[in-house]
Amino acid sequence: MAARGMKDLIENGLDRAVELMAVAAHNSFRFGNRNTIKMVSLSKDDMIEIAEFCYSLGDMSPLAARDGRFLMELVKEPCGLILIGDKRKSDLNYNCGACGYRTCAEMNRAEEMESLTARGPSCQFKNINLNIAANAAASAAWRLGLHCRVFSTLAMAAFALNKLEGVDLAVSVSVSVAKIDPYFDRHQYWTQDHWDETFRKEFPSFMRGFIGAIEE
Amino acid sequence: MSIERSMKQYLDDRMESVRIAARLLLASATTSPRVGGVGECTIHIVDDECAIEDLCQLMERMARDNESWDFFKRDAVMLRDADAILVITSLRCKTDPADTNCNMCGKLTCEYLKEAETLPAEPGIAYPGPLCVFRANNISYAVDAIVQQSRLLGIDYGVFWSAGAAAMRSGIVPKNTGFALAVGISVTEKSPFRDIPKKYDEINEQTMNDRIIKRLWPQFRSIYS
Repeated sequence: MAARGMKDLIENGLDRAVELMAVAAHNSFRFGNRNTIKMVSLSKDDMIEIAEFCYSLGDMSPLAARDGRFLMELVKEPCGLILIGDKRKSDLNYNCGACGYRTCAEMNRAEEMESLTARGPSCQFKNINLNIAANAAASAAWRLGLHCRVFSTLAMAAFALNKLEGVDLAVSVSVSVAKIDPYFDRHQYWTQDHWDETFRKEFPSFMRGFIGAIEE
Repeated sequence: MSIERSMKQYLDDRMESVRIAARLLLASATTSPRVGGVGECTIHIVDDECAIEDLCQLMERMARDNESWDFFKRDAVMLRDADAILVITSLRCKTDPADTNCNMCGKLTCEYLKEAETLPAEPGIAYPGPLCVFRANNISYAVDAIVQQSRLLGIDYGVFWSAGAAAMRSGIVPKNTGFALAVGISVTEKSPFRDIPKKYDEINEQTMNDRIIKRLWPQFRSIYS
């Protein structure tokens, strides 16, 4: 066997890992014993498109903007993004009431509400199946030693950009083999001034000495 | 050591292993991801035989409440053989939408969801919705964490929404609970959750024992004594 460099090993290993995550998601537990999820592994170009879209939502959602900036940094090192989706209507006939309709048939007949993030109303158990698949993928990634995080924001952006056709709901699992875990403690995306300003606005009483103190 | 004593020791240790495993599964479910990083799920262990029986009897009664829930009777039989049941709840999905305006509930914004009329608490309704789907999805992560950890530990498991709904109705979970699922676990040589014959609610180990051994043996004994 020829010698292979670290870069080659890591990048190919990441590809195999994403495939194994997809297998774990595909074979995960699901109510109704029917696998109806759809899945795609997105390219870096797709991720950059998603990042730009998230960033463009900055006025509406600081979270989406932060995740957009984050994704732009993430793609600089080997990474992957699995997008998992499913249809919203129920084929389970549980008539459980969680969706707000008495029967699955009633929910399936209800007017479809379109939005950038998802199409609703949706069956709670379809959602549960979808997110169990996401957790199975994330769990496989964890066992393989990858950095990993489940993202709703990126999934919603991918949904808006129609990256996975024929689905009404989506969730995404991002993985990376960066030298430092990029998914947690992401302080670099906020300036200290912005952080201080937001903290003061959201938690005005934090610095008060006692109840009844005069706020400056 | 006599075979009887060592068998009793084995049975005691088996039950102890269930208690330990259930708590490890609870740990795994507790630390699983939550959307937005907001804690809202609780996990409750039901490992007392009488409490499991209460839950199973309620499931059997609920089977009559909705014609789609006939399988609750089969689930009850399976869970009677479980050594413990873990009930996973979502406490915020009913009263505290996630404010993400995700539209998975079909109301476009969370404000509309807050104003939406909820289904009445009738016997034929398991989870009076509409619920915040985004919040309730947290249960998926907790359930799959239990599934993954059970596989690692080599514990047999079965996931049941019937037992989650019954746990809500019986009041053994916090009253804010909007959605709950349950996972039965078993440390036995044959999983009680797999290879389930048809008409299992009528034909199962308990009814077979009752009809064949417990009925025939006393007759045999009284005749041939």
